[in-house]
Amino acid sequence: MNLIDIYIHEVTRRLPEKSREDIGLELRSTIEDMLPDDYTKEDVEEVLSQLGNPAVLASNYSEKPMHLIGPRYYDVYVTLLKMIIPIAATITLISLLAKYIFSYSESQSVLNVGLMIIGEGIWSILDVAVQTFFWLTFTFAIIERVENSKERDPLSISGKKWSPKDLKNVTFIPKKRAISNVFVFGMLFWTAIWATVYFNADKLVGIYTKGENGLQFVIPAFNQTVLNSYWPLIILSVGLEIALALFMLLKKQWTKNIALLNVLKEVVGTISVIIIVMNVAIFNQEFLTYMGHLFKLDGMKVVGFIQWITIILYPIFAVWNCIDGFLKTKKV
Amino acid sequence: MSNLLDSLIIELRRGTLTLAVLSQLQTKQYGYSLVQLLEQSGISIEQSTLYPLLRRLEKQELVESIWDTTESRPRKYYVLTDFGIEIYQKLRTEWLVNSKQLNELLKGE
Repeated sequence: MNLIDIYIHEVTRRLPEKSREDIGLELRSTIEDMLPDDYTKEDVEEVLSQLGNPAVLASNYSEKPMHLIGPRYYDVYVTLLKMIIPIAATITLISLLAKYIFSYSESQSVLNVGLMIIGEGIWSILDVAVQTFFWLTFTFAIIERVENSKERDPLSISGKKWSPKDLKNVTFIPKKRAISNVFVFGMLFWTAIWATVYFNADKLVGIYTKGENGLQFVIPAFNQTVLNSYWPLIILSVGLEIALALFMLLKKQWTKNIALLNVLKEVVGTISVIIIVMNVAIFNQEFLTYMGHLFKLDGMKVVGFIQWITIILYPIFAVWNCIDGFLKTKKV
Repeated sequence: MSNLLDSLIIELRRGTLTLAVLSQLQTKQYGYSLVQLLEQSGISIEQSTLYPLLRRLEKQELVESIWDTTESRPRKYYVLTDFGIEIYQKLRTEWLVNSKQLNELLKGE
């Protein structure tokens, strides 16, 4: 095979079957027209370089696009991607949490299960993100090739050509008031963490010493049965936090109602914390003795110290959080 | 900067290409003869654009093609159809009007 044959083959193999022969013949006659009568290898190379890259020539022949997703669909594609991936990730994470919570058995240490959830969580979020990305891209690449309307304008998310009426469906959110999905996600995550820690405090919070197998848990700080007896308060707080998070997810910005719900959450939280911390029985006697030795204090003084710190600091943060919520609702 | 200028010039010429090709197909031409005709008039055209363009014009029924096998090597000739002539006339008028307007605009500098 000489260079001309190979060149023609390189062009036609990229074309639909039915037009290959005709284009091949025409190309050959054109190339021969361009060559002098007694041509050399250099002449051939010169002519072929004028015709250019066979892939480009072939793509000019075929009507099919040389891109995966063109300008007509790109915007809708990116918008959908940004919308679907966080939703898919959240659903995955929630179902993962549910799976672990319902199959939880006492024999596993809480810390261990927590680590497993984080590990598997990261892995399955990556998995679902890649899956979503692939299938959405795949779908759009097919639409790009199948749809053959003559319209060239980019599509709006409604699937029609853009018109000023589309602006009515846009909720304009100033940056200062916006609540990002990441923030809501972080909030839910934090709720899950503190509730888990609370109900497993006797296995997590306390004195650790260096043992043979790394850190060893020796003295729990709290008395779990007493902590558990406050469960209605904790469930109420968890419920309020989840409600607030969902409300934020829905509204996507700070509103007066959200700020009010935030206040309610903080008030309930503060009262609960103070009620719980004022009950001396929540502390493990052994822990208090240990701390007393450590700081050369009476065990009861340690309790008093913890109580005062909580009663002063917690409300300060709560009040600041409430004010911050209202500041964010102000129109810019 | 010259890169930018080049790409702008190419963009500017792209629209006029169809018109230039149509104007030369009032008499029948084969691919390479068309290239030479255009080049004589100072219009340079990528050959990788021209041949596919001819095929597209044929698909749009603006030109028709005949394989001529009487000569030493077979050649594919293209010529305007009646529909092609009609469209060419309209495009030509459109171009003349447009360029007149643009000239006015440029003169006003």
